[in-house]
Amino acid sequence: MPDNAPPSSRPDMSPPPPPVQPAAGSTCGSGCGCTRTNSTLVAASTNITPEASAAGVVSRRFFMKTLGVSAAATGLSAGADARAASLIGEERRIDGPPIVGPDPIDVTLSINGKAEVVKIEPATTLLHTLRMDLNLTGSKEICDRGSCGGCSVLVDGKLVNSCLMLAMDAVGTQITTIEGLSKDGKLDPIQESFIRHDALQCGYCTPGLVVACRAILNDKPKPSLDEIKTGLGGNICRCGTYTNIFNAVLEASGQSPIMDQKGV
Amino acid sequence: MPTTNRPINAGSSMNDDTSRLDGVAKVTGAAKYGRDRYLPNALYVALIRCPFGAAEFEGCNEDAAKAIHGVVDVSVAGKECSYHGQSIGHVAADSPQAMVRGISALKVKWKRKSVKTRISDSVKENPAIGDKAKSILDSAELTHEAVYSTPVQTHSSLETHGGAIDYTGDRATIYASTQGTSSVKDGLSGPLGLSQSDYEVVCEYVGGGFGSKLGGPGKEITTAAKLAAKYKRPAYLFCNRSEEHLDTGNRPSSRTLVRVGFKKDGTILGGEVRVWGGVGIAKGGGGANIPSGRYQLGDISKNSEDVSFNAGGPRAFRAPGHPQAAFAEELMLDEIAAKAGIDPLELRKKIVKDKIIQEMLELGGNLIGWKDRKPNGSQKSTMRTGYGMGVTSWGSASPGGEAEVVINRDGSVESRTGTQDIGTGQRTTMGIVTADAIGIPLKMVTVRIGRSTLPPGPGSGGSVTSPMTAPTMTAAAKDAKKKLLNLLAQQLTLNADDLDIKDGQVTKAGQPLLSWADACSKLPNEGISSDGGKAESGKGGSQGAQFVKLQVDTETGVIRLNHVVAIQSCGKVICRKTAESQIIGGVIQGLSYALFENKILDRNVGTMVNDNFEWYKILGPSDMPHIEPVLWAKGQTGIRALGEPPTIPTAGATACALFNAIGHPVRNLPLTPDKVLLALEGGVA
Repeated sequence: MPDNAPPSSRPDMSPPPPPVQPAAGSTCGSGCGCTRTNSTLVAASTNITPEASAAGVVSRRFFMKTLGVSAAATGLSAGADARAASLIGEERRIDGPPIVGPDPIDVTLSINGKAEVVKIEPATTLLHTLRMDLNLTGSKEICDRGSCGGCSVLVDGKLVNSCLMLAMDAVGTQITTIEGLSKDGKLDPIQESFIRHDALQCGYCTPGLVVACRAILNDKPKPSLDEIKTGLGGNICRCGTYTNIFNAVLEASGQSPIMDQKGV
Repeated sequence: MPTTNRPINAGSSMNDDTSRLDGVAKVTGAAKYGRDRYLPNALYVALIRCPFGAAEFEGCNEDAAKAIHGVVDVSVAGKECSYHGQSIGHVAADSPQAMVRGISALKVKWKRKSVKTRISDSVKENPAIGDKAKSILDSAELTHEAVYSTPVQTHSSLETHGGAIDYTGDRATIYASTQGTSSVKDGLSGPLGLSQSDYEVVCEYVGGGFGSKLGGPGKEITTAAKLAAKYKRPAYLFCNRSEEHLDTGNRPSSRTLVRVGFKKDGTILGGEVRVWGGVGIAKGGGGANIPSGRYQLGDISKNSEDVSFNAGGPRAFRAPGHPQAAFAEELMLDEIAAKAGIDPLELRKKIVKDKIIQEMLELGGNLIGWKDRKPNGSQKSTMRTGYGMGVTSWGSASPGGEAEVVINRDGSVESRTGTQDIGTGQRTTMGIVTADAIGIPLKMVTVRIGRSTLPPGPGSGGSVTSPMTAPTMTAAAKDAKKKLLNLLAQQLTLNADDLDIKDGQVTKAGQPLLSWADACSKLPNEGISSDGGKAESGKGGSQGAQFVKLQVDTETGVIRLNHVVAIQSCGKVICRKTAESQIIGGVIQGLSYALFENKILDRNVGTMVNDNFEWYKILGPSDMPHIEPVLWAKGQTGIRALGEPPTIPTAGATACALFNAIGHPVRNLPLTPDKVLLALEGGVA
């Protein structure tokens, strides 16, 4: 598994692109609908430097959280998120944390052991980056608000809903998606066990559940049934595969599946 | 590899050991669903939707939306809206971000209107009893009158409705999330501006449908198709989670009034049933199947009507009209049994019509431990245990659809049909019946499904897919085998009647003659194919019985599910593992309907207040009881229905178990703690 180095530095963060220069008095040009002026845009953009980010300064998301406008928690749209960022830029432009965007920036992510460079709007979630920019569509968008587990990935070995994490915030971490669980065509034991126990039907929730089961097994080599149920508490399946998933986890951890009766 | 954890089902199927053929694709994330098709240069399209139950469109800032960088097309057709989620136009853009910004820039103005949100907004009181029912009740030793009601349940398919259209100008490929690959094809010629021979509908994987994705392309795919044709580029339109709850169908709500008379020995004399179906803005589709015909209920009359209110209309939902009816019927029977002072299992044994179900009642009672059941309301402890049960049945279907089997010169075999696998295991069952009919190992068969260019198959509805396609595919495979053996007989100057294929070997009079590879190498270049052969006709319906054991915390009203036994017949089982999964899944959906699901509309503005998965709860892993799926193999022939019957009796059986535990019925789904506590205090919940 990936090492657990804290993401205190972000060496992979590339310098931002040059700011877009819309006509004076126009909207910012990003399409976000805000009415920010040129000067703000420059201030916002110049605020981020590789040095600033390498110094481990407070992330934009942390700053937004302190204002109570965490994009994910409030379900803000991408546009609203960008507007929130611009608000921060205007009012706290000098003393605040580094501000990036709203134009796309280059971000380098370590995914399944491989460095991937993507050009994304800063407000883009890890899930959308995986799916739309990297064609890693195994992680599913089902609720897009952290209530289904369909987008589960491992970030530094920990289970994360990738729809609730900005891609920017995953810089410097080791991300493992469903596509990274099998190596060179060899399936992870939990994947083998899922197939054997038919722990899938339509298969749409399956990648998220497989990743969640892998996280349980990483944490507890021999989880009890209750620990499995608790560990999967953030995932849902509409076809109804839970019974077989429990058995798949039990068997993948060297335990006996739950026996039914022999008949009377 | 077999699984050994269900010994009761060992040997019950044509193939006990096989795992789903698309298992690897699904557990590795390699399976591409329609929603995963992000095509280069695609337009991203969203529908503009009414946020209120009833409102008049007053205007919007179309120019502001069009001015957003990346917005390509904005169309608003102003009109009256009569439900939350009703669409009045669309925004199309170069990226999902621009699409969202475009929608929010519109700032649509609405004039709200008064709404109706429930059946009870229109049905205020019970109508007077009919004359015939009155005379039955007047002369009966005991009577029972009650109203049972169920909420609107949304399908909650995890892949939302929609499609991605790869449009190249003179050709198109439609990646649809559908239960009817062929029917989507039929509806797209006009919107795409292409002839049907110039486009293909592809649906290799579907993230759930449960009935809501039956039929034509729907407004989602149709809108995307029109825009693809207009701008000559790919287009992508999938609902978000909220839209999926609002506007892609549902199981309608119901209100069922029963008035029955019965004898002290439990014999039911008859009476009347009146059903009101809550169909939103639809004109119909709210019928509930009560009396179900599974029990002898005497001379019972029925009156059914649909009630409209400001909400999206229903669509077929896994056994339409059945779970809501079974909830009313099963709980009614338990209440009758309680009044008559007899065990509800004994009552059902007395009045259930089907002989197989009678046998299932005996087995299920033993498996759940019915002998430990205590009389209704007799427990005084904080935690109280309850047992309940219900029965199910489903009709037969005749073979249909088209199928083709190809045997290639290199020995590979293709099993081809246009039907889609919505999670039932269609891909796998097609492979199994093909391999079985020819006499070769399954691994030699490649199954091709989910494309409109393949031989057309039925939509995945009514639990008919296997009953229709398995006999048809079997016939095609047998015919291909016959052609192969005839050809070999000709070439080797042997009698074709002496030849057979077993375990991938051609045999003569039972002795090995040729390996499969050698036999196929004698084929002409194009191999052989068959889409013919006479399919074996249907063999009848399916039966089932379910038993639920649960515990109720009388201080909090919370129900904990302990154990469910689900016995199901479905003819000759093709694939044991996927069959078990169908039963387990049906039970889980039924339990979820029993305990949690409820589309809640704000009574003042008609807005759905729980249009997500935080507040529209479906059963999760930690709510799970132990579920035992039992495949009833005794005397079963033919391929019969399995998808829908296992979800029918579960909610009713759960309500009966709650009644048993606390001694008071909760006649209103879902069985939430507030209702349990109210019932414990003697209120009508």
